[in-house]
Amino acid sequence: MSSRLLLIEPDRVLAATYKRALTADREYMVMKANGAQAAVRLADIKTPDLVILELQLIAHSGIEFLYEFRSYSEWQNIPVIVHSMVPFAEFRHSWELMTHELGVVSYLYKPDTSLAHLVEAVREYVPVKT
Amino acid sequence: MPVNEQHSSTVILSQQLLLSVAEELKLPLTQIARQLELEGLTRAEGRSLQATAQTALQLIDHYILGVRLALEPQQFPLEAVSVSSVLYDTGQSLYNYAKNYDIDLELNIAGRFRPVMANQHGLHAALVSIGAALIEALPALPAQHQLKLQLATHRSRYGIVAGVYADTKQLSMSALRQGRRLQTHSRQPFLALNHSNGAGIFVADNILHAMDLHLVASRHHRLYGLGTVLQSNEQLQLV
Repeated sequence: MSSRLLLIEPDRVLAATYKRALTADREYMVMKANGAQAAVRLADIKTPDLVILELQLIAHSGIEFLYEFRSYSEWQNIPVIVHSMVPFAEFRHSWELMTHELGVVSYLYKPDTSLAHLVEAVREYVPVKT
Repeated sequence: MPVNEQHSSTVILSQQLLLSVAEELKLPLTQIARQLELEGLTRAEGRSLQATAQTALQLIDHYILGVRLALEPQQFPLEAVSVSSVLYDTGQSLYNYAKNYDIDLELNIAGRFRPVMANQHGLHAALVSIGAALIEALPALPAQHQLKLQLATHRSRYGIVAGVYADTKQLSMSALRQGRRLQTHSRQPFLALNHSNGAGIFVADNILHAMDLHLVASRHHRLYGLGTVLQSNEQLQLV
């Protein structure tokens, strides 16, 4: 059975592109959410093995999502990759909090991250089930 | 305000807007770069990429137009403009981009309207900028039904309103006020409406301002939207 990824991406075109890349080898199943609320609903239906998170969302930020997500005991150990348009320099001061308390395992700057790099990063934290 | 101070504050605002435009362009350019990586692009995906690139170019063009309208207003005189024809052209400009986001674009220009005073190029650019910003934003709003964007015009007691409308209450005067307040302080000034920085809305604001018009939130039947109020060209009634 494929591992489940929860992709939180507000842009519809990018979400479709990332989903296509992540499911190309049928290693992963991708659940797409356009915002924090939709993401929590989806995670509630099927627990993901990893979350890919954009920080800039409508209504609730990615950080707010992380606080909400980590408040449920069953979701506390699910790795989160931040994959965002927000450059690292803009949230450097929160990075320690994000890694130590909110369980962020990696940060990828979206404009610089190729699809191959994204897939590679996902494989690092969610090995392909054989 | 002394002329020198006014000039330098205009320059600073224009630089801040340029910064927003540059930030906003990261989205279409990332879409293009990532989609080109996918193997075996279909013809539809090729068309989608073209629409994305076109919209990115338009954003730059409209930013430049806003600055030129402000600096050289004599080059862009007000003229008698048909609102219906500007809305039709706006629909043509946005059609492919709306398709990328699975948004139905509708044109509602029922009724007869007198020509209005505006610069045709400027009005078209402002409406396209608003439309493109809303096309990107709508799918990320919590809504389950088929997304629609309507280009529409109607009479109000203030004049003829032309705008871009959608079925979301987030398109309100208070959201617009908040966006303007946060424009230079936040990377996401329209927090409840747009996941990016909404540069297209500010570009439209600039263009309209340079034509002595205002970007306003308005309602069209049950829809909410952003647009502008235009005055009809009374002189033409004598002809």
